[in-house]
Amino acid sequence: MDTRSTFHWIILILSSLVLLFILAPLIGMALDTSPAEFFQTVRDEEVQDSVWLTLSVAFMATLIFSIMAIPFAWLMARYNFPGKRIVQGLIDLPVVLPHSAAGIALLGFISREGLLGKAADAIGLNLVGNPVGIAMAMAFVSLSFLINAARDGFAAVPERLEKAAMNLGASPVKMFFTVSLPLTWRNIASGFIMMFARGMSEFGAIVIIAYYPMTAPVLIYERFNQFGISYARPASLFFILVALVIFIIIRILSNQANRRLKRVNLTIM
Amino acid sequence: MLELRNISKDYGNFSLKDINLSISPGEYFILLGRSGAGKSILLELIAGLRSPDTGTVYLNGRDITDEKIQRRKTGMVFQDYAIFPHLTVFDNIAYPLRIKHMHRDKISAEVNRMAKNVNILHLLNRKTNDLSGGEKQRVAVARTLVTSPDIILLDEPMASIDAPMRDDVRQLLRKINGMGITMLHVTHDYSEAVRLAHKVGVIHNGRILQTGDPESVFSRPVNKFVARFAGIRNYYRVKIYNKAGNMYAESDNNKYILPEGTYPDNGLLILKSDSINLSLTEQTTHDNCIRGKVTEINRAESGYELFVDTGDIYHVLASKKDLEKLSLKAGLSVFLSFSSDELRII
Repeated sequence: MDTRSTFHWIILILSSLVLLFILAPLIGMALDTSPAEFFQTVRDEEVQDSVWLTLSVAFMATLIFSIMAIPFAWLMARYNFPGKRIVQGLIDLPVVLPHSAAGIALLGFISREGLLGKAADAIGLNLVGNPVGIAMAMAFVSLSFLINAARDGFAAVPERLEKAAMNLGASPVKMFFTVSLPLTWRNIASGFIMMFARGMSEFGAIVIIAYYPMTAPVLIYERFNQFGISYARPASLFFILVALVIFIIIRILSNQANRRLKRVNLTIM
Repeated sequence: MLELRNISKDYGNFSLKDINLSISPGEYFILLGRSGAGKSILLELIAGLRSPDTGTVYLNGRDITDEKIQRRKTGMVFQDYAIFPHLTVFDNIAYPLRIKHMHRDKISAEVNRMAKNVNILHLLNRKTNDLSGGEKQRVAVARTLVTSPDIILLDEPMASIDAPMRDDVRQLLRKINGMGITMLHVTHDYSEAVRLAHKVGVIHNGRILQTGDPESVFSRPVNKFVARFAGIRNYYRVKIYNKAGNMYAESDNNKYILPEGTYPDNGLLILKSDSINLSLTEQTTHDNCIRGKVTEINRAESGYELFVDTGDIYHVLASKKDLEKLSLKAGLSVFLSFSSDELRII
């Protein structure tokens, strides 16, 4: 490509504008927050608790639901069946729903009058206002990211590799864990991070399921509502920085896991 | 021994129809067919990767039609090898042994033994991505051999291999077959069958048209399709009649003397390209001689191929010596002579 062409300059300017649009509010927020305000917020137990709750519940929701979502993604990649398009539509549905509407739908399901709520109530668990309910809200709005990423990954694995594994004596389970899963690892890791990130940042559905205990987005919203932007800003900055660090760590770990996968893969055989 | 009895499988737009096939222990059987003829599907049915709608698969007297893939003892080498890209060469070959929970030392010994057998000992620690087609083929074969299969199923094993490497692979396949392992090899390449097979079959549109030893199939093809696969380029629709006790075949443009025998009234006359003699004058040494004009001369695998228009177009093979001796060139009038014994009516 001729880097001196007018077209090139137009592309460069448009790209810079997009990047500026993303970065400017974040930089502005960082510049508008004094170190004193920031460190005071970091030491605030309520903020710490909400950040920890958000991270831990989002992570657990992603981990637990991935146990069901990853095999489901394999099924979607490998088999054609009547109504497959409808099933795919259902997977994508939470992404296009207004999240407050998703929260209302989920509330009907997990409240004491709902199907799951009744079952949970029988063992003394009230899902509404509970981290389990928060996890469900997070998973509901973010599960499609993991399923779609994993499905694309499985679809990219040539089916003959799976056939070869079975011809070499592997059971379907061993074939899945020693061939399909290792070869889809990168997609699954990306989907996992996307689901975790989306779950962590969820506000609309969670605020309906559980205002308390407060996740970080709910806490930021509450501080903004009650005390204004200057009080909400340091908490927002803290939450963003923590999320950023977590993502970098997960990305590094997933790359290392990818490299070590061969060894893990051989041990489980 | 592999035996297929009345195997059928319907896919709507394609079906395998009533496949019967028998392969003796230690035999090298090559199934020839075009792309989409049903060769790979048949292999997958034998390996258990697909199930037939009807029919039975026997392997060494055992009905394996509904047997689990893992217990069939059919080793399949896929067309593009299906080497696991996330594993090294060693780990690829060790894969089936680890599945069986074999002891680490035994695995190592077995992998090394097999790698030595197929000349890839030096590649064991390599990643598979940067291997050549021939090397990948050897890895795939070694990985299959360690499972001690009763039969090896080879799906177009030469398809992704550079021409200079094909001799090496053929040698390897002969060596494996020499170890007493039964082989079923599917391909579209007639020359592979000539070079490797004890027996051949021809499959077209999901049906096996003919089986037998290569000599009989290639010299006595049952129809035009098999004739084409046998590399026969000269076949002409003829009427056959008896005149004064001699048998004759007549196409729209030429008349042929046939050897004594019983023939149908109509048929397809076939003549192998290398059975035709070229000369500049009419020959009486052969009972058939027809005149034509050279229309095209091309280089062939050995020597030259000529197209001669006699009314019917003939494909003729000639050596470089013949070409120079007769000063053959396009536009030249020549005589094609051949013995009636070389003619086949199908």
